[in-house]
Amino acid sequence: MAEVLIADDSEFMRNLLREILEEDHNIIGEVENGVEAVEMFKEEEPDLVMMDIVMPIRDGIEATDEIKTEYPNSNVIMCTSVGQEEKMKEAVKAGADGYITKPFQKPSVIEAIQDVVPS
Amino acid sequence: MKIDVQSLDTFNQLAHEGAQEATRSMTQMTGIEATVEVTRISLVDRKDIGEELGNDAEFVGVQFGFDGALTGETVLIFEREQSAAIVEALVPGGMADESMAQSSVKEIGNIMMSGFIDGWAEHLGTSIEHTPPSYIERQGKDVLPEGPETDEHDQVFVFRSEIQWEGEDVSFYIYMLPEYTPLTELMAEHGSSGTDAIPIKKLAAFNQMNREGTRRAAENVEMMSGIETEAEVSQISFAPIEDVPKRFGKETHVGTAVEFTGAPSGFLLVLFDEQSAITVAEGLMPVDMDSDELTDQHKAAIEELGNIMTSGFVDGWANVLQRSVEHTPPRLVHDMGQAIIDPLAAQLGQHQRHAFMIDSTMKTEELEFESKIHALPNEQELRKALDDLDVDRADQTEADADRLF
Repeated sequence: MAEVLIADDSEFMRNLLREILEEDHNIIGEVENGVEAVEMFKEEEPDLVMMDIVMPIRDGIEATDEIKTEYPNSNVIMCTSVGQEEKMKEAVKAGADGYITKPFQKPSVIEAIQDVVPS
Repeated sequence: MKIDVQSLDTFNQLAHEGAQEATRSMTQMTGIEATVEVTRISLVDRKDIGEELGNDAEFVGVQFGFDGALTGETVLIFEREQSAAIVEALVPGGMADESMAQSSVKEIGNIMMSGFIDGWAEHLGTSIEHTPPSYIERQGKDVLPEGPETDEHDQVFVFRSEIQWEGEDVSFYIYMLPEYTPLTELMAEHGSSGTDAIPIKKLAAFNQMNREGTRRAAENVEMMSGIETEAEVSQISFAPIEDVPKRFGKETHVGTAVEFTGAPSGFLLVLFDEQSAITVAEGLMPVDMDSDELTDQHKAAIEELGNIMTSGFVDGWANVLQRSVEHTPPRLVHDMGQAIIDPLAAQLGQHQRHAFMIDSTMKTEELEFESKIHALPNEQELRKALDDLDVDRADQTEADADRLF
């Protein structure tokens, strides 16, 4: 089972993602901001990070940039409410591997993960 | 054609002073003390005019046609129950005689609205003729005229004044619905056409973008909660900054506030009345809470929904303008409407005297549910953003992630 780190400042959204993923994935942790996301990634080196963009302290694009710079083979899917083309381009530049916009249904999340981390 | 902030202010002020004059006439005749609380000018879809009046309340009042430098219709309306107090003040016992009651309303309406229209003519240095008053009684927004049929524009400017009866929780309303072309020509004539001028076409396109943003926010609500939600209204209003909090009333609301930066910067609120907040939060949660009170879990759900609705709304601006609009994580708000908006308006008021407000409403027929989005952008930055707006791109509000990834 792929190991997944969930980074989202919303407890509601973390719970929702956990419910969607826990059947087929190993959720190794949940964090609330970009700083914690980078720290936990370095400790656990999960197969995949589901990364929100708008988070306090440090946003998801900056966190993705750091993770992908230090771990080029890591996998990050932006999982965000932001549907702006300029933001998507920033995410591409930071190295994100996928992008899903909230609200989402389970199939679209699973499909995005399959594209990035085939089982 | 362009209008500027100065001419918007002048015309808004004219409507405000006209409403004050009308109110003074009423006080003189009835002894009822009242004040003009809010006057605002809105750009709104013709079919949405008066949406805030709802569908059920019964109104009585008078309607006039006017013609000259400005052409259109204006109405003065009271809720039916309130009109009784006015009739009794004018003609004690008058409510017992329906014909007398109608005649009283018609006469006071005539005097009030003559003062309203004459003030406009005087200021504009021109003449505006008006028809004799017609007595009207209808429900909700049907009390308002549809606007001149000859006018081909989908969006129209509407002047709305709310007059508050002192010491009572009741209001009267004056609506002025001028024909689009003569009004905008007059506004352009009375403006400076300087650097703060806004092409009206762009303002209308921006309004259309906001309607699209509201539709997307409604879709998000529906997808997350299962509540079938419809986008109802989107309008841009212009008013003095000190009038902004008055529009939010004293009813308690729950929702989120974010500050957005980019072009433009400002604040955005997603608000629900308490019952709607509970209804939608229950729809979001996998487990039935079955609670009449707003719990922490409800609030967490509302916070995330507010976040998603905010993005759905401002993303369209960013995509059309081809730039990014950042926003802070949502802050949960739970207070009286005025108390929620007060600090935000005060913050904007440090740099500007007037505010453009973007208001959208979402409703559902099935349940008691209503949600509102209010955006309060920095005035100068909004003007700059409108200046940069390519009207031909105004429908390109959605980005395609699959194309980039």
